[in-house]
Amino acid sequence: MPLLDISDLCVRIPTPEGEVHAVRAVSLRIERGEIHGVIGESGCGKTMTGMATLGLAPKGARIEAARFHFDGADLREQAKALRGKRIGMIAQDPAAALNPVLSIARQMDDVIRAHRTLPREARRREAADLLAATGLPDPGRVLKSYPHQLSGGMQQRVVIAQALATGADFLIADEPTTALDVSVGAQVLALLRKLVAERGLTVLMITHDMDVIAEACDRATVLYAGRSVETGPVEAVLQKPGHPYTRALLAALPDAAPHGARLAAIEGSIPPPRTRIAGCAFAPRCPKAMPVCAAEPPPERARDRHTWLCHLPEDAA
Amino acid sequence: MSPAPMLDVRDLVIRYRAGLFAPRPKPAVNGASFRLEKGETLGIVGESGSGKTSLLRAILRLLPVESGTVRLDGQDWLALQGDALRGARQKIGVVSQNPFLSLSPRLTIAEIVAEPLLAAGARQGPALREKIAALVADCGLTADFLDRRAREISGGQAQRVAIARALALEPGLLILDEPTSALDVSVQAQILNLLADLKESRGLSMLFVTHNLKVVAHISDTLLVMRRGDVIEFGRTEAVIAAPAEAYTRDLLSFGRKAAAG
Repeated sequence: MPLLDISDLCVRIPTPEGEVHAVRAVSLRIERGEIHGVIGESGCGKTMTGMATLGLAPKGARIEAARFHFDGADLREQAKALRGKRIGMIAQDPAAALNPVLSIARQMDDVIRAHRTLPREARRREAADLLAATGLPDPGRVLKSYPHQLSGGMQQRVVIAQALATGADFLIADEPTTALDVSVGAQVLALLRKLVAERGLTVLMITHDMDVIAEACDRATVLYAGRSVETGPVEAVLQKPGHPYTRALLAALPDAAPHGARLAAIEGSIPPPRTRIAGCAFAPRCPKAMPVCAAEPPPERARDRHTWLCHLPEDAA
Repeated sequence: MSPAPMLDVRDLVIRYRAGLFAPRPKPAVNGASFRLEKGETLGIVGESGSGKTSLLRAILRLLPVESGTVRLDGQDWLALQGDALRGARQKIGVVSQNPFLSLSPRLTIAEIVAEPLLAAGARQGPALREKIAALVADCGLTADFLDRRAREISGGQAQRVAIARALALEPGLLILDEPTSALDVSVQAQILNLLADLKESRGLSMLFVTHNLKVVAHISDTLLVMRRGDVIEFGRTEAVIAAPAEAYTRDLLSFGRKAAAG
């Protein structure tokens, strides 16, 4: 049984101009011990999917799903109870996630005290151990520091240590390396992989960066306009993508074209979040769209454990 | 002899003073030398603290230089002062990372693109309006954008407006500081294509600064890699990519997806 089991998640948010379909139909199955990448562009619903899983969807949001379960518990009722206990969060910008006027010792202690009853000295040791586990070389000095005295990479390691301090075994990391330099980001991703292997964690990694997916994830799900359109092992999704959108996204990357040649930009733009979509959401921009694509929801195509939604048969894709 | 390069930087040293009696800190830029030929694109790559922003600010004359020379289009760029500097600055256009921070939310697109022209002495009128429409069209936006405001358009459209504004005074050199870092991949591709078109049609020289080596490797003719104030690589892009001299460059290149086999 997957640890996180989401089927046809739909999140609608009321606004004065009408309901916004932030998430239209997202399905995610994440097995224990895997790092699962959720990839998509602005407005595809990747962050809202994470927020709904944390029980942090905006007030008044309507959440519907065929299944929305974490380890057998229904997230529609228990997301808030699970957050901070089983489900942790690593935010994009560690400088914003940490309190600038409190020492790291105080901020680590706050988290540990909220979750466990331990004497002060034991809490202090636990904080130092957790910081050491995230690869910080001198935990004693880090504990005495304030966030502004640490580099971005060190701050992100502190945030990861805090997530570990809750005892959570499932982490949602929303663009955890976007605010960091490429070389520092690579180290943070390596750390996450190490922690997953050593501590049996499971990670949902939200990102817009194909290189982060390739570097860190075991499986990946591609979102477009609030729908999961393709899912599978990372090598399959990146090397032999099935959905035309995934293929277009990979082709638009600057290293996909010869040096100086024109890039294959995707024409058009994503459908506005208030419109209803009858068929495939990508049909208006798809180079291979057929009349049926705009009219009917696409069927699922599969190649081993790699699936995608498309009207085109596999061999014609 | 070949024509003067657009930009010729020799032994440039930039150092921030910590305090009157503090020991001299290590320079932010430690003797940078490079050339940018006319009509070419030079990519500058480096992480935070590498000195790429200091270098850029010195080239824009926003920062004093400790030693070294900068020649812009053959002119001793660091010697210019006052009105001469103000006039010569029109040779450089700048596009920054976040278009929503660099475009006023209160002005219409037409007003934003008109600003540099008005500052340079242009008069309001149909001729100005026509010039603005042409600039915006060159950057891939239709005329109905002219009366919209920056907050009503997408990030990619806003970056097109920022490029149109940077080109208003017909600079020879366009400086782009992380111009696609805030954009989605599909939009990034559109902007990179636009920059390639503009370089071709206007004979622009470009200085493209980014931390994303893959983006810059695609668009630049020459490549400069900085680390901790030092220039660690400078050469033709193909040569640097094919045989990076430094382990740091190799690390940047090998991050993420490997090239598909075959």
